Amino acid sequence: MFGELLAAIDASALSVHLRHSIWLYPVVSAAHILGIALLVGAIVPMDARLIGLWPSLPVALFARTILPFAAGGCILAIGTGTLLFIVQPADYAALPVFWTKIGLVLAGVTNALVLRRSAAWRRAIAQTTGTTQALRLSGSLSLGIWLTTLFLGRLLGFL
Amino acid sequence: MRIRHPGLLGAFLAALAVAGPALAHHGWNWAEPDNSTLTGVVKSVRLGNPHGRVTLDVGGEQWVAEVGQPWRNARAGLRDEMLVEGVRVTISGHRSARPGEKLIKAERVIIGDTTYDLYPDRD
Repeated sequence: MFGELLAAIDASALSVHLRHSIWLYPVVSAAHILGIALLVGAIVPMDARLIGLWPSLPVALFARTILPFAAGGCILAIGTGTLLFIVQPADYAALPVFWTKIGLVLAGVTNALVLRRSAAWRRAIAQTTGTTQALRLSGSLSLGIWLTTLFLGRLLGFL
Repeated sequence: MRIRHPGLLGAFLAALAVAGPALAHHGWNWAEPDNSTLTGVVKSVRLGNPHGRVTLDVGGEQWVAEVGQPWRNARAGLRDEMLVEGVRVTISGHRSARPGEKLIKAERVIIGDTTYDLYPDRD
């Protein structure tokens, strides 16, 4: 059942087109890296602030300036990652590292969404200084998840 | 420093330990340093990005030869229709250094009297 789905994806026009393209595949691959660069580049200082760095700078400042880049980068990385998967779905699906990575992406997105909907976040946006235990926990989870995701993603290219 | 999320670290190490079969090979570090040659008959092919794979019957043994991605094959003059089932090819390149893995990364593909040089800068 799942194997049939993978075979259908593999036989799709999009998969065939990406696989045999000279330029599209490297462009998608580069765009995936751009998405990761934006996501990680923005999420590291965001998480550092949540964990307690720069306590005098308002969390709202980070939420307003760098957080949209993290979210945009995340969307770009997921979109382009889907295209990369489509090129050789059965190969990726056979790798535990791939599924671990997908699980971590889901965990990272869930962690971010849970924080955004929390009372702790609303309070952090309202007040100007310091951090809380809830923000620290969410920030360290986020940091661990995204850095591990990046490492596993790079690892996939070497398996 | 205390490790804040030991579970995460554990999951990561477990993922490393059970890392699956070959997917894509960057560079040459995973392969033997010495050149080797292999001749076989094409059984199946999967060409394209991120690189092509040609499955060969080498005296009853099944080997996979990694060839280039589309631009590299095109530059060498190697066209998809040359690598079809039943064609006899010689691969010159580097074998996987992993014991028992029947995988070779091609530097040159020889069909008949013609050599298609995928890596003209490599010996």
